Amino acid sequence: MTLYDLAAIIAGLVAGLLSGAIGIGGGLVFVPMLTIGFRVTQTVAQGTSLAAIVPTALVGGITHLRQGDANVIAAWWLGGAGVVGAIAGALLAVHLQSGVLARVFGAFYIAAALLLIQRAMATRESEPPAPSS
Amino acid sequence: MIPLLVLWAGLGQRQANATSLVAIIPIGIAAFPIYYFRAGAPQVDIRVALFLVVGSMVGAYLGARALKRIPERQLRIGVAIVMVLVGIKQAVLP
Repeated sequence: MTLYDLAAIIAGLVAGLLSGAIGIGGGLVFVPMLTIGFRVTQTVAQGTSLAAIVPTALVGGITHLRQGDANVIAAWWLGGAGVVGAIAGALLAVHLQSGVLARVFGAFYIAAALLLIQRAMATRESEPPAPSS
Repeated sequence: MIPLLVLWAGLGQRQANATSLVAIIPIGIAAFPIYYFRAGAPQVDIRVALFLVVGSMVGAYLGARALKRIPERQLRIGVAIVMVLVGIKQAVLP
């Protein structure tokens, strides 16, 4: 095992922590980590990230299900709609300029984040954390 | 998905984060073969992927356990910060 492999394990650990706590698949973190930290090309970063997402989401998702954190009905709906969306998106993405799509998503993320911050400010400071099992 | 669950479906931040990760499982499983078998040879650094997964599986478990202990407000701000960073990255370097 080389230093490079060890760096990948640590990068995976950080991305996994964020994934488990924040609920992202890991791709949002894996791709920039790989292109900036590991100097791989964007295409290889996306392919490698995609390969790493499924096991990461399985471990995090099953842990959430066992803890009873997730809304199972909402997850079914989201997952089902997401499967349809992913297939449509993959077929559509071929015909779109990727830069345009990325900018639209970027703007969407920023707008949604601002709304979330506004909600956070409205959340009472005294709200207790969930009881641990 | 997370902003959708919180802002539109009205879920708490903790439940939204957990639900989103569960929903990613079928999406990831469905998307994976499409990306892999449609666009020619799959571009994957298998060695990096393997070591990433070793770390990320441990991290995902610990992160999921930690979610219970983080207060709702801090969690929401944390999610927003990650989204702003990703949004800026997407908008500037698509």
